[in-house]
Amino acid sequence: MALLQISEPGQTPEPHQRKRAVGIDLGTTNSLVATVRSGSAAAIEGEDGSVILPSAVHYSEGGAVTVGSAARQCAGADPYNTMLSIKRFMGRGIGDVKSFGEQLPYHFVQSSDEADKGGMVSIETVAGPVNPVQVSAEILKVLASRGSGALGGELDGAVITVPAYFDDAQRQATKDAAQLAGLHVLRLLNEPTAAAVAYGLDQGEEGVIAVYDLGGGTFDISILRLSRGVFEVLSTGGDSALGGDDFDRAIAGWIAEQAGLGTNHDVATQRALLDRACAAKEALSAQDAVEVEYGDWRGTLDREGMAALLDPMIDKTLRACKRALRDAGVTAEDVQEVVLVGGSTRTLRVRERVESFFGRAPHADIDPDQVVAIGAALQADVLVGNKSGDDLLLLDVIPLSLGIETMGGLTEKLIARNTTIPVAKAQEFTTFRDGQTAMAIHVVQGERELVQDCRSLARFELRGIPPMTAGAAHIRVTFQVDADGLLSVTAMEKSSGVSADITVKPSYGLEDADITRMLQDSYEHAEEDVAARAVREARVEAERSLEALLVALQENGAELLDEGELNELEKAMEALRLAHNGGDADEIRRRIETLNEVSGPFAARRMDASIRRAMQGHTLDEFDQ
Amino acid sequence: MSEQHNYFEIFGLKPGFSVDREALAQRYRELQREFHPDKYAARSDREQMLAMQYAAQINEAHNTLREPVARAGYLLELAGVEISPEQTTADAEFLMQQMMLRERLEEVRSEADPAAALDALEDEVSRLFSSEQERFARRFADGELEPAKDSLLKLQFLRKLQHQVEELEEDLLGDF
Repeated sequence: MALLQISEPGQTPEPHQRKRAVGIDLGTTNSLVATVRSGSAAAIEGEDGSVILPSAVHYSEGGAVTVGSAARQCAGADPYNTMLSIKRFMGRGIGDVKSFGEQLPYHFVQSSDEADKGGMVSIETVAGPVNPVQVSAEILKVLASRGSGALGGELDGAVITVPAYFDDAQRQATKDAAQLAGLHVLRLLNEPTAAAVAYGLDQGEEGVIAVYDLGGGTFDISILRLSRGVFEVLSTGGDSALGGDDFDRAIAGWIAEQAGLGTNHDVATQRALLDRACAAKEALSAQDAVEVEYGDWRGTLDREGMAALLDPMIDKTLRACKRALRDAGVTAEDVQEVVLVGGSTRTLRVRERVESFFGRAPHADIDPDQVVAIGAALQADVLVGNKSGDDLLLLDVIPLSLGIETMGGLTEKLIARNTTIPVAKAQEFTTFRDGQTAMAIHVVQGERELVQDCRSLARFELRGIPPMTAGAAHIRVTFQVDADGLLSVTAMEKSSGVSADITVKPSYGLEDADITRMLQDSYEHAEEDVAARAVREARVEAERSLEALLVALQENGAELLDEGELNELEKAMEALRLAHNGGDADEIRRRIETLNEVSGPFAARRMDASIRRAMQGHTLDEFDQ
Repeated sequence: MSEQHNYFEIFGLKPGFSVDREALAQRYRELQREFHPDKYAARSDREQMLAMQYAAQINEAHNTLREPVARAGYLLELAGVEISPEQTTADAEFLMQQMMLRERLEEVRSEADPAAALDALEDEVSRLFSSEQERFARRFADGELEPAKDSLLKLQFLRKLQHQVEELEEDLLGDF
């Protein structure tokens, strides 16, 4: 076993050393970070002694940034520079934000130079324009530092939760924010699935679970089947623009109407109305009626009155539940457990309506504000390798159908909603003009027939198609959605085997160049310098690569590689180790790339061996029976 | 992971129209326990990518085998029968019946009790679907591939109608 000599103590971490991993709930109103310590998951407190970090970011002149409660307190006096509920703008364009149909105290600007190009919104502040990805990254940085503080060192990875109903652009924006915050994302995990994990592992449940998740700005419903540690999401649905904030707005509207204020108020008035609305809503969970006053007006809101205001929105959520049940192929009676998630499920009326819909009292034993972060922490612990994953596996689905634009602005669905991920679908296209060497594919997400009613995700341009007569080229385009729910596209011309170059223009996302620029911008305000961080990140990646390969070699290197191949691999590993010790980030990256190339065939052989083993194992079982 | 595996082989099932759903579901979970990308989180990028591709293939196989129309189509594909998307059944009686069912669907909204009318229609369509399924199974087992293909085309028709019924149901739900 010459292979064991490859390991050099102190160079790469020991495979069995405990890793530092966290679960992060990046919420609309509040965010949390949790981790598993001595076998149990718990949220991590901040300096203020609270586990909750308000998702608020304040920008001051000169570029100073405050995050959390201190930032939220600025909202009244300095609304234009205080970012609240920024999650609602993730992966959204200016048109979306306008269609929210409410007064938002921000000066929106289009993030790209050409206004007609679309793209994610930016908000003008005294510190210059910021986009939702940057704002979210500020929140993530605070959470990450809570995590590394509690765990005593730099984090190895994080699971970040997103609403199940988030589309591709919103997911990508979340991942970009993590990258900007310097976090290694182990997985984007759907919030309802995370909640189910937190409950399921605690109580050893089996059967069908419904997770009703009503947060500040989003609503999700997921139906899952739990069977011996496998969480299979059967269906998911919801509304990415409906939440407790809408409750507050409805109540604020009522106060304004009663107080004779009309519908157009300035930002400060609206904020004051919302504060009173929120206070009244919370009071009504404990008492039957509450006194409300605004200016000279005084009045009473009782539970019945509030129910009338909220019911239209709750009805909307229950319709989504009904559809999710049908998509899952189960009925309300099949549901054995109902789990409530999100601060807005504290509202008594919501609990009443959910209970009568499912015909059973919902679970809310785990703090609805913390349950998602706790589930994410449990998953992170498994993914980072601290815990054997044998007893936990999550099979999630794509929430919205993926399709492409065809003639006449119609959508052709390629991957239906609620298909288990990862998933890949291939589609063939042909050219319609002689000598055509390029074509564009417009990918959309949604259930509607017309492209204009769906969400535009990206335009893929294929180039380098060999010139042929019209209709002769057969371009096979593969759409792949990974376990994070993110789409990637590859294309190949079948007769020539030429792979077409693809450039992606995300409709509401950021391009790689934007992210690089944002990273550089962020250093201008930070003490850390660019080069140091680049080296640090490259080293972490090098360690990860070396460790993964080391484990693989110990498993079956001798079996699957001959001596020559083994030598070549060892040389590439040694070269990476040397680069790792040096301080050149580019050199480290180059060596990682080389190692990936050299170890490619080994990876493929390992995979083939696993597949053979899985199939053989099964055949033997069949004989036994 | 160069080759595409036969879906029945992946699941260790005997190729045929009748599938043991419980065995399929159990085997599916076993395979995902082995190949889901989460199981490869600590592996090299290359292995992660390969696992994702194989997990996607397992998912595709699972979806194909558990869904009767997809399963029927896959069996015919394995048997070398070509089916183009534009093809349709030539059975005039069946087509006439389809037209009448579609007319009924369009008239549901104007019925006195739309929900009851829709339920009745739904029941009838699923009865037709079940008997066509049995016909497919019989024909395919007997090696009558062309008639089996005709059954598949009819199943596709009926499945589409079922979806339209569901869509209308959703619309009606949204109305109150």
